Amino acid sequence: MRRQVGTDIPKVDALEKVLGEVRYGADLPAKEPLCIKVVRSPKSHAKIVRIEMDEALRIPGVERVFTAKDIPGKNLVGTITKDQPILCSDRVRYIGDPVALVAAKTSEAAEAAAKKVVVVYEDLPALNHPEEAFKLNGPLIHDKGNLLFEFHVIKGDVQKGLRESHLIIEKTYQTTWVDHAYLEPDAGISFLDEKGRVTVVCPTQNVHYDQKEVASVLGLSLDQVRIIQCATGGGFGGRLDITIQCLLALAVFHLKKPVKIVYSREEVFQVTSKRHPLTIRYKSGVKEDGTLIAVEVEILGDTGAYASYGPTVGIRSAVHATGPYHIPNVKVWSRMAYTNNPWSGAMRGFGVPQMAFAHESQMDLLAQALKIDPLEFRLKNCLRIGSETATGQTLMASVGIGETLRKVKECRDKANHSGEDPKRPFIKRGVGVGSMWYGIGNTGIANPSTAQMEIDPNGEVRLYIGVADIGQGSDTVLLQIASEGLGIPLNEVRLIRADTALTTDAGATSASRQTYISGNAILDAIKYLKQEAIKEAGLLLSMDEKDLFYEEGKVKARTCLTTSLPVREVAKRRGKVIKGEGSFDPETTRLDPRTGQGSPYATYAFATHLAEVEVDTETGKVKVKRVVASHDVGRAIHPKNVIGQITGGVAMGMGFALMEEYVPEGTTSFVNYLIPTSKDIPEVIPILVEENDPSGPFGAKGVGEPALIPCAPAILNAIADAIGERIYQLPANLERVLEAVQRGGSENSKHQAPITR
Amino acid sequence: MEVTLKFILNGKPIEVKVPPHWTLLRLLREKLGLTGTKEGCGIGECGACTVLVDGIPLHSCLLLAPKIEGKSVETVEGLGGRDSLHALQKSFVDHGAVQCGFCTPGILMSAKALLDGNLHPSKEEVKEAISGHLCRCTGYQQIIEAIEAINKDVRE
Repeated sequence: MRRQVGTDIPKVDALEKVLGEVRYGADLPAKEPLCIKVVRSPKSHAKIVRIEMDEALRIPGVERVFTAKDIPGKNLVGTITKDQPILCSDRVRYIGDPVALVAAKTSEAAEAAAKKVVVVYEDLPALNHPEEAFKLNGPLIHDKGNLLFEFHVIKGDVQKGLRESHLIIEKTYQTTWVDHAYLEPDAGISFLDEKGRVTVVCPTQNVHYDQKEVASVLGLSLDQVRIIQCATGGGFGGRLDITIQCLLALAVFHLKKPVKIVYSREEVFQVTSKRHPLTIRYKSGVKEDGTLIAVEVEILGDTGAYASYGPTVGIRSAVHATGPYHIPNVKVWSRMAYTNNPWSGAMRGFGVPQMAFAHESQMDLLAQALKIDPLEFRLKNCLRIGSETATGQTLMASVGIGETLRKVKECRDKANHSGEDPKRPFIKRGVGVGSMWYGIGNTGIANPSTAQMEIDPNGEVRLYIGVADIGQGSDTVLLQIASEGLGIPLNEVRLIRADTALTTDAGATSASRQTYISGNAILDAIKYLKQEAIKEAGLLLSMDEKDLFYEEGKVKARTCLTTSLPVREVAKRRGKVIKGEGSFDPETTRLDPRTGQGSPYATYAFATHLAEVEVDTETGKVKVKRVVASHDVGRAIHPKNVIGQITGGVAMGMGFALMEEYVPEGTTSFVNYLIPTSKDIPEVIPILVEENDPSGPFGAKGVGEPALIPCAPAILNAIADAIGERIYQLPANLERVLEAVQRGGSENSKHQAPITR
Repeated sequence: MEVTLKFILNGKPIEVKVPPHWTLLRLLREKLGLTGTKEGCGIGECGACTVLVDGIPLHSCLLLAPKIEGKSVETVEGLGGRDSLHALQKSFVDHGAVQCGFCTPGILMSAKALLDGNLHPSKEEVKEAISGHLCRCTGYQQIIEAIEAINKDVRE
């Protein structure tokens, strides 16, 4: 059989997508569905005094208007902290909070009626700045207080480390809200299936989580709710939370008729989660020879009105605060504050993109002050096999950061594009580097996946897996793993996926975890399937199981080369389904709640980007010419998919660096939320460093989030290289670049001198 | 009130009744069942709804349906079939140019219009031709490669 792993086969979903046949949420067929429309709060913080719906109900075609009173179960959802109502009952906490839900025969009637629902509010003082969240007698967003989460990572003695430092640099970095801007607006349908189950078909990153929340909101048992993922037009973390699922299910529960919802783009911008704005105070200490010895970091995140993935971002940003470097003395304090701003959640990296902006800016500042080459400085301090991380975890294998740096250094040394453009003196050119590390899977908690593989007496081979492919290609990669593990051609393995009625929990498509964790669960299932096949073949051949082995889709005898039974033949002749059930949960330990010490991840991905930029000092425009993106992904199961993740990550990282800023009440469309187009993107040169991880499926780790993370830091460092001034706030838009250029031109320009002992 | 429209859809003449305020996008998706053309923003900013009208790529979300009276409309469904893939469709599959796929039908149509008028577009011309389309997954590079590859096939 042709090898699958490491092969660029066509993606299994690509054909139906280029034909326009595949159905996303808004394309799903439903029999005369009712249209539903949400009535949303125009207030950022207010009491709901009353809701009047008489006029709305008089509009022809309107069937019903739902409020919180119609929710039969628990009216609170949330992946970690359940604090977000499906429909607000007494209080709204951000502009866009859902208050009522209209169901009507047409979308026009639903929209007209939604406008006629009168909600009387009583304003409450709003909290819009996280730094004001802990003031005495300020507005309280949730009864338990405005501190959603805090976490510490403490290692060594940071004060001693700072005292012993030759040089200390302290800076504050600021990031803002970023929207996922997945291209498919949230949309889906719901109906009662033939078994009477409330069934929701929609784009999502985690069907089993959705199922639990829908069941909880409706007061039903899990087996009364079915979630099916349809083709999903991107996710990037934005479809990890509940969006439309419970709204659809609520309407079906009461009306017993099919319903449909389609969000407008404006609604998607207004009501889905955002990347957390973080304020990062970062202090680094280094010895005269360039050895990093201390890092002290304070992180304050604006988690907005509801928790969502705030705790996850809080813990992951703390754990990753040092960057991929060995630092003996570390103190990190991370806090997530509730405000009346848009709710922040998971977005491609869970806080690590923001942290990388800070730690990589620090690395360049330190290297510059020490007059060391920034790449050499990183190479000197980077993690290697045997290094201990800030959480006290000793890395035993697959630590490719050094190799990603060396590969980038080769490219940089060949062509250095710093300095002025002789023909255009107002253009300054610069080169910058950014590195990152990223723990695969959830942080210090169980995050198992499960899978089943079976071969039936008709010879049909099936993989059952609950993984949601959101476009990144997990369907293809997981089939490659199954095919290779089983020794059966990929096109002969049928995939049954992401349907709670047919598959078991694989966890979320997040944290770059599905190739590593679900890939391993599939291999575990195959291990048991092979045992079963050997047992059954032993009965057919009247041989002892010990004398048989499995190879390339066949059960073979150790003693006789010609005795060989295809596994499908075994299933056929035994007249039974041969199956294996597998699971995998990465080996992690819970982090100590006081010191943050422990082993939060079983493996880490590493990467370094090199960005070449041209800064127009007259307009502030930054043109990113080229990005060399060097990634340690473990084994690349599908190299072309990996490269697609990298080129996509670079584009999104460039948006994060230069243009993307969600403004509450200001951002309504792609007119005022700019994302990179084909004319903005740089040439991307991907480099795969395959430091195989022995714990990964065929050595694989992950790449989804790592693809994005080092890009913005590399661009910001390149801008600093070009204009001699640094920007500490993202995005580095025209105004900020111009301001930095002007700062550079002024007399007392040079950045605050670092403290040298 | 509805108006009767006659136009060519994917090479075949059709006659259809439609409320005059409907957009071409809505007509295609809701009345004619052609859901391959997508709505990503509804205001002509993302390009997902792009179709060809008399060979020119236009945002079907901005075009009132009655405006296409007598014209020829091409959508992704008319580009090729399972057994008769258009070279662009095959190239997109081969080059990994499809991730979530939501932008794909619109970009395919703009790429077709480009190649119909210019057998040998430069990389810059390819970038220009798809610059009205937003793609959040791929970073465009594999899409550009897929379109350029057609160009190469034609040259050979």
